Amino acid sequence: MSGSKCTRLTGALVKPVLDSVDSVLFDCDGVIWRGDQAIPGASRVINLLKESGKKVFFVTNNSTKTRKMYVEKMTLMGFNATEEEVFGTAYCSAMYLKNECKLEGKKVYLIGSSAMRDELQAVGIQQTGVGEDHISGKQMDWANVDLNPEVKAVVVGFDEHFSYSKLNRALQYLVQQPGCLFVGTNRDTRLPLEGGKAVPGTGCLLQAVETAAQRQAQTVGKPNRYMFDCVASQFGVDPGRCLMVGDRLDTDIMLGSNCGLKTLLTLTGVSTVEDAEAHQKSGCAERQGMVPDYYVESIADLLPALQG
Amino acid sequence: MAGAFKGCQKIRGPQLRNLLEAKDFILLDCDGVLWHGERAVTGAATVVNSMIRNGKNVVFVTNNCTRPREKYVHKFSRLGFTDVMLEQIFSSSYCSALYLRDVVKITGQVFVMGCEALRSELQEAGVPCVEDAEDPDATIYNCPLAPDVKAVLVGHDDKMTFLKLAKASCYLKDPDCLFLATDIDPWHPLSGGRILPGSGSLTAALEVSSGRKATVIGKPSRFMFECISSQFEGVDPAKCLMIGDRLETDMLFGANCRLDTMLTLTGVSQTKDAEEYRDSELTTNHSFVPDYIVDSIADFLPAFEEQDKQSN
Repeated sequence: MSGSKCTRLTGALVKPVLDSVDSVLFDCDGVIWRGDQAIPGASRVINLLKESGKKVFFVTNNSTKTRKMYVEKMTLMGFNATEEEVFGTAYCSAMYLKNECKLEGKKVYLIGSSAMRDELQAVGIQQTGVGEDHISGKQMDWANVDLNPEVKAVVVGFDEHFSYSKLNRALQYLVQQPGCLFVGTNRDTRLPLEGGKAVPGTGCLLQAVETAAQRQAQTVGKPNRYMFDCVASQFGVDPGRCLMVGDRLDTDIMLGSNCGLKTLLTLTGVSTVEDAEAHQKSGCAERQGMVPDYYVESIADLLPALQG
Repeated sequence: MAGAFKGCQKIRGPQLRNLLEAKDFILLDCDGVLWHGERAVTGAATVVNSMIRNGKNVVFVTNNCTRPREKYVHKFSRLGFTDVMLEQIFSSSYCSALYLRDVVKITGQVFVMGCEALRSELQEAGVPCVEDAEDPDATIYNCPLAPDVKAVLVGHDDKMTFLKLAKASCYLKDPDCLFLATDIDPWHPLSGGRILPGSGSLTAALEVSSGRKATVIGKPSRFMFECISSQFEGVDPAKCLMIGDRLETDMLFGANCRLDTMLTLTGVSQTKDAEEYRDSELTTNHSFVPDYIVDSIADFLPAFEEQDKQSN
């Protein structure tokens, strides 16, 4: 039973850990950037890892950008990345709906961004619902709102146009349309914006629909293992030789634990060492999955070993 | 050896009359008990009028915050319930106003995520609310916050937007700002088996974003019973009967306040739902189980016809 968890990754420890992995998965917000500010040294770390032959992937629960949009942002910020390396929940949800739910050529009711609409379209899934939607008429009208009989699933991602009307439509599909599936991108409670602010996350919108419908959605994003499976199925990643780097214990580190990866917490985002130690001391089996193998102050701490 | 947990007693006729005679206060839910939308349950008006005429204290306890009390008085009258006075009506919006004014004694403003009726009950009680004005320039990146907000109150809000959720979350960052909900009903029923998202779904969203639990004003919380007790003399829980149609709201409310409870089958919950809770191994589920069950509130009619016969 390994007692060595939550170890500060520094000095001579770094190189052996890096040598023990072939692939590195990075979360984005709070790890390689904060809003539109790159974490100092982050782009150099990514580029050096690639130069040394490691495969690098980006795994983010943020559903507001397509893979193309992520690469545009990364390029602007000096990160060397291609679309194939980016796994956001807009893309992964589209893959899930196509491959697991078999909805290619079908339609969904979408509470989400235009990025989600675009990723769905790219895999041949149509949507209805994106954009503004405000209530009109009386209560009975809302309960009898027109439902598109082609809709096979209600899909919930981040939506700054979320409204009672959308909540109502989602509810009516779930209770009136037989066999309607229910999928959410992720449960994060907060969404970081460019510029550093944070707003209520997809988890809040999903909870509203789940409560009204008294039904749980299947979620695609971290800590659910689906996103890792997406990466692994496309690139042949060996979990035993893979490192997950993130700033959130309940999503990034949990994903790593769920998939048997090595895990590294960086302190430039949400979670702290104290949070990790609290989980470790809790004695609760479920919480042990949120204890990282290692932690660093910032991923820039990996530079000396990479440059050496 | 204690027997299996009981409850769910189907009651009618002389037993029902005896039960009524033993009670001074009758607490009635409205939707699904007295009416469905604009249609009164057959016999409900006669029963309520007879209860009042026979000297029972009758109060109406509803989580439906979409109507101010004045409008409830009109609705009662419209549907044949004569002589129902404002003072007998306890809605979650009215009680939210009382809570803010009398319990919290709020000094600042309240940010309301709710309907017009909720705001008007607060204003009627002299509780200041943040203006509901639509700021066309406000976005999630830049939205001005009102000063001195000391409470966020969530209710049924058909004009709910993401921006409102974001603002409410900002206010709730201050641990001294209260977090109140009119009720936590996840959905509420319309006639014909249709449902709409309830206050509970909006409250849940805000609980997730703020990481805080709301203080619930309406059923099943005790507060509305405390309002009733403070406004009427001699309210003894042992002499009260709570009649409702929803196990998770009305029966739990009754159990929380130590009242006898009666489920009427004209609304949301059915006998098998009650029996499932009764037979559950989780003893906490027993609080959802009604003491008595009637098909409809009209089952009380014979009790009054008997009385009318005797007094002739």
